[in-house]
Amino acid sequence: MEKLAENKIIEDLLPQKFGKQGTIWVISLIAVCALGAFAYARQLYYGLGVTALRDYVSWGIYISNFVFFVAISLVGSLITAVLRLTDVHWSTPLTRIAEIIAVSAISFAGLIIIVDMGRPDRFYNLFIHGRLQSPIIWDVIVITTYLFISLLLLYFPLLPDLKILIKYKERNGKWLQKLYEFLGSFWKNTPAQFKITDKAINILSITIIPVAFAIHTVTSWLFATTYRPGWDSTNFGAYFISGAFLVGSGGVLIAMYVFRTHYKLEKYITNDHFDKMGKVVVLLALIYLYFNVNEFLVPAFKMKKSEEEHFMGLFTGEFAMVFWFAISTAMLIPILILIFKQGRKPKAAFVAGILVVVGSWFKRYLIVTPTLLHPFLPMSDAPENYKHYFPTWEEWAIAGGSLAGALLIVTLFARIFPIIPIHETIIETESHENK
Amino acid sequence: MKNNENSRRGFLATTLVAGAALAAGCGTKNPFTPEAIEEVKPSGELVKLLSVDGEIIEVDKAFLKPVPSLPAISNDEARVGIPGKKFAMVIDLSRCKNLKKCQSACNHMHQIHPGQNWIKLNAMQDADHTAPYWQPTTCMHCDEPPCVKVCPVDATFKRKDGIVLIDSDRCVGCRFCMAACPYSTRVFNWEDPKLEPAIAEKPYNCETSMPQKIGTVGKCDFCPDMVRQGNLPHCVSACPNGVFFFGDILEDSVTNGAETFRFSELIRDKAGYRLMEDLGTKPSVYYLPPVNRNFPFENNTAEATKE
Amino acid sequence: MKTNKIIPFILIIVIGLYPSFLKAQESEEKPTLSLNLKYFNNNNTTHHLQVQAKSKIDGKFQMIAQIPVQFYITNDSNKNNLLGSGVTNEKGEAVILIPSTAKVQWLKSPNQNFLVVAASTKKFDEGRTELAITKAKLKIDTADGRVINAQIIALVDTTWTPISAVDVIVGVKRHGGILNANETATYASDSLGFVMAEFQREAIPGDAKGDIVIIASVIDNDVYGNLTSEMIVPWGAKSVYTTNYNHRSLFARRGYTPIWLELLAYGIVVAVWSVIIYLLFQIMQLKKLGIE
Repeated sequence: MEKLAENKIIEDLLPQKFGKQGTIWVISLIAVCALGAFAYARQLYYGLGVTALRDYVSWGIYISNFVFFVAISLVGSLITAVLRLTDVHWSTPLTRIAEIIAVSAISFAGLIIIVDMGRPDRFYNLFIHGRLQSPIIWDVIVITTYLFISLLLLYFPLLPDLKILIKYKERNGKWLQKLYEFLGSFWKNTPAQFKITDKAINILSITIIPVAFAIHTVTSWLFATTYRPGWDSTNFGAYFISGAFLVGSGGVLIAMYVFRTHYKLEKYITNDHFDKMGKVVVLLALIYLYFNVNEFLVPAFKMKKSEEEHFMGLFTGEFAMVFWFAISTAMLIPILILIFKQGRKPKAAFVAGILVVVGSWFKRYLIVTPTLLHPFLPMSDAPENYKHYFPTWEEWAIAGGSLAGALLIVTLFARIFPIIPIHETIIETESHENK
Repeated sequence: MKNNENSRRGFLATTLVAGAALAAGCGTKNPFTPEAIEEVKPSGELVKLLSVDGEIIEVDKAFLKPVPSLPAISNDEARVGIPGKKFAMVIDLSRCKNLKKCQSACNHMHQIHPGQNWIKLNAMQDADHTAPYWQPTTCMHCDEPPCVKVCPVDATFKRKDGIVLIDSDRCVGCRFCMAACPYSTRVFNWEDPKLEPAIAEKPYNCETSMPQKIGTVGKCDFCPDMVRQGNLPHCVSACPNGVFFFGDILEDSVTNGAETFRFSELIRDKAGYRLMEDLGTKPSVYYLPPVNRNFPFENNTAEATKE
Repeated sequence: MKTNKIIPFILIIVIGLYPSFLKAQESEEKPTLSLNLKYFNNNNTTHHLQVQAKSKIDGKFQMIAQIPVQFYITNDSNKNNLLGSGVTNEKGEAVILIPSTAKVQWLKSPNQNFLVVAASTKKFDEGRTELAITKAKLKIDTADGRVINAQIIALVDTTWTPISAVDVIVGVKRHGGILNANETATYASDSLGFVMAEFQREAIPGDAKGDIVIIASVIDNDVYGNLTSEMIVPWGAKSVYTTNYNHRSLFARRGYTPIWLELLAYGIVVAVWSVIIYLLFQIMQLKKLGIE
């Protein structure tokens, strides 16, 4: 009976070839990436002049996108580390989804920063002339560190699954087989090995939490260490982290739904998972809402002269539409959906997840741009187009391309590796039945 | 360190041409010839000149003034700055008529991209019922510059002489400094600066900030190339109303070329102040309030831009 | 019929040629270049000429760079009289120090003429301007009680004679300007050519020894040109130069990071990366176990 269950699990969870839908999906992602690459080639050739960025709005959707990527990558630490350490077992099938989202998002965060640089050809200056006083250097250090830790956290739990994968030689084909063997041929399922990996995963789970906090706190400091209205806040680290956990969890809801329906994983990503994940999202949305109230109500109550234009611009002025859209789609509506049991059904939760992610993207845009349009001194002696910002097609294409790229990594990973940990699922079911 | 500097300044004798005085002996010491000239060692190449008395004198090439043939400043020297100096600027708002001569001279001398300006003229009105005035803003050359704090690669730096410069050969174009500057003083070369070949082919020097480079940040540099020769920044000499005063704060004096004041007295008597003192950036640019104005405030910006 | 066909043809030719007519006209009307020549006597040792080229373009005077100029002693642009040549800089200025070759001409007379010739360029026609000066000297000295004495003398026939009623500025030499010795900015020389200024700049910073440079200057005099004379006096306050350039701070350069930040940053990096490296070793360990 158990033996059969195990085979069934393996059969269900082994990575599958792309179907028709999958192929279309991958091709369209590649197409979007290619458009982004073309736009970036133009930017490399003509300089940042192809963007709508100018002296006042010197950071635009590239930086919003960067913050968005860093934010969404935090989910890896939440699902794998926080829940693991608190002995929550229902999240086991979601760990690898969360971890691959983290790895791909953090990789693209690094890439998009290079895209934003005026002189990417001088990137090496960060290493040969790096200045420890600069928060950018801190960011480079923590992002690299987080990427490594996330990769390790992806790798260790993958080892037992690699052993399973290696067994299916004909199914794998030559290249994948080679890859699996390269990565995990030494794995023999011995207790000594398990002892090491269990310990390693525990160490990683503990280490990744402060590092994850660090990446997003440091990212928030890129703004909070300046004097600008809307950025000059001691609350920014916590505000960013709470927002990051929210968008990451929203992303996991989407991924859960897509993998579940596409790979027919209803037995593994169950309604119960959506229910629990939905509750987590409600909690995180409430926390983020709380920080938003803090972030906007307190300064708005004082309405300092330098901040007045900025806040009024958000509440009732030129950014009011986007602002209220972001607040409602990222927090209010998802809370209203997920607070009800019916709303935590897969489809509704999936919609809520999309709302969270889309709203959060615009939230990041609002964190970056409106502040830059409200400098302390008046915007004088500058051409008219310096006083507004709307991204050019190149910026949209590059930003879109990077999002597509991140999705492509997740998709390809799911093609190559089991997106739900096979070994751990087997263990979990066994222990359940033994109870 | 200190002693070193002082003894170095004592080196050279008087004035415009040092050669003759040198010959007269080392008794004469001039603390205030441009330091660079003092630092320059005799090149050994002598030029035969005619004295006012009609005698033939020989002067070392390196000491020729007003056109000393100084060796090019190395990047390392440009990063340290002119020793023994601490520069400051005083901008007298009561004299500003928004003629923008400072701006056009600056733009021309630094070949700034059309539309961008290192000196911005802001029409200021502090409150509804207070009088408006024109406020030229340059880089404040803060003593605790927020832009330098955030630079990841030492591309912008604070020098010994108080000047904050940018090394466009080093800048990676992250624009963090632009976000960090509360005075919105920095501009970015978004496009390839369209320079005449004669300028574009010159070797880059952070003291001239020329030729500007695509993908890097630029800003007012207090014209250290002019200052090193003992001259005034371009905006100072271009202003017909004498709005800008420049000087070495260690000499306790500032000048607009025509008038020279004791810095401490000027600031005391005219209640000089700095912008956004509460931010703690400690600017090197001081403002004199717009009292007893020389000109009425007229906002003819629309016409001005047409010109 | 025929004429109808020809007319558009002519029109096209005329229209096509029109811009080139315009161009030709433009090139004929080069803006006039005005040259301003000045003479400078530096401390009664060397002397130089400075020319500034400007032109009225679009109703505004602009300094003209890249104008090749030749300086001559006397009004005669004879090859033998050539002092030297230069090219105007961004400020429209070019300078020549009077070279030793000018000795014979210079000694001929107490009055001296100079000539500057700007060569014709694509944008400007040839320009020339003359300058006549009388040879003069400005002497600076001090008297008891911190008084600055300056005397202006000029060459009359063969004797140096004091000149009265010449405006002289007396003060302390500072960066880019002269700080008046007291409230009075300018003095007129008396019958003996003297001006006297009481030095009232108490505690003005000097160098480490308290030395300052005092300076007397005649600026843009119609007859004598520009004269300056300098002297070092110990009337200033001793200055102590301090700088925080080598202090560790957040705004200092690379390598001058505050210690607390270095400890914090390196501490965290070492702690986290030793964990990562430890885990990489664990992977090696796993491999070893697998191979056994």
